[in-house]
Amino acid sequence: MGLDPNSRARFNLKDASVLLLDATPLGMTILVQIVTGLGAKNLHRCADVESAREAVEGNQIDLAIIDSLPPEGAGYDFVRWMRREAGEPNCYTPIIMTTSHTPRSQISQARDCGANIIIRKPFPPITVLERIIWSSKEDRKFLFSDTYVGPDRRFRNIGPPKGVKGRRREDFTATPLPQGEAGSEAASAQEAGEA
Amino acid sequence: MNTARFTVPKQRLAQLLRTPGGPPAAEALAAAQSNLVVLKPQCIGELDKLLAAAEAVYARLTGYDEQGLAELYDASVRGIGLGDLCGAGSVDVALHSLCDLLDHLQTQEIYEAEAVGVHLRAWRLLISTELPQEGAQQVLAGLNKVSAKYGVPKGDEG
Repeated sequence: MGLDPNSRARFNLKDASVLLLDATPLGMTILVQIVTGLGAKNLHRCADVESAREAVEGNQIDLAIIDSLPPEGAGYDFVRWMRREAGEPNCYTPIIMTTSHTPRSQISQARDCGANIIIRKPFPPITVLERIIWSSKEDRKFLFSDTYVGPDRRFRNIGPPKGVKGRRREDFTATPLPQGEAGSEAASAQEAGEA
Repeated sequence: MNTARFTVPKQRLAQLLRTPGGPPAAEALAAAQSNLVVLKPQCIGELDKLLAAAEAVYARLTGYDEQGLAELYDASVRGIGLGDLCGAGSVDVALHSLCDLLDHLQTQEIYEAEAVGVHLRAWRLLISTELPQEGAQQVLAGLNKVSAKYGVPKGDEG
């Protein structure tokens, strides 16, 4: 996902409609400073879930950056609502979740809410830009099921777990990682605070 | 029976990002970074305010108190991310540790005044930007030991 900070590649966020949800004024200011610096102009700033719902119901949202809203984690419920209830096209909107700290009781809620990716505070602007670019990739499948609605979380096909026979058709085309690498990759992804 | 349906939606964001006229990434990143620099005084002020609120709650806690621990957690979690913006990134690490501790205490319905007190004192110490990096690392190592002593599960972040 690494982006060279000196990259001359151009990215245009000027016409993107961006939803920001953060309950703390300073948290919102930080988000605004980052995304406007990156070139976004069309922002929907929401301090609570109700106003965020109104923004989603009244506008096409191209990108959403949603805080988990501790301590209750209402941000996860909002994302779940957006995936299941918002309707097209907003149910497909790339969603980046931000979190300060995830209580153990909310880990599965965070994993299953349907966000494209979760980033942990503090996050520098380059992390936000990298995740925006990554979340916008068009080749990622989107899954509707009884228990989960959101982007396919199996975004790297490394086959079934070691010692387990694959059950899916894709398992036969998987490229297994070299010995010992799968575990370390999972660990480093967790350290980076990614979903 | 669980049913699943896949689709590959068209992302308007992908098209917008490719629209000509956007700034080079290096320039956009520099602009975003300089936007953040001006927030430093605000971040320091907010961290001070949150620490004062946390210390006030701590001063009145005498044992397990669900509401009091929730207030402490609230003050601590709101501070995460601000330390980095005011040049004291170790504050964020200490606040993560404090949130892990408070989450553990809330889950177990217990209270460990000494463990909480050590974290709050560390917060106050680390907020001082004059503290050398080496000193900050020693403080954080001390917090790790305290958390281990009280059986706090490590890092659950995602």
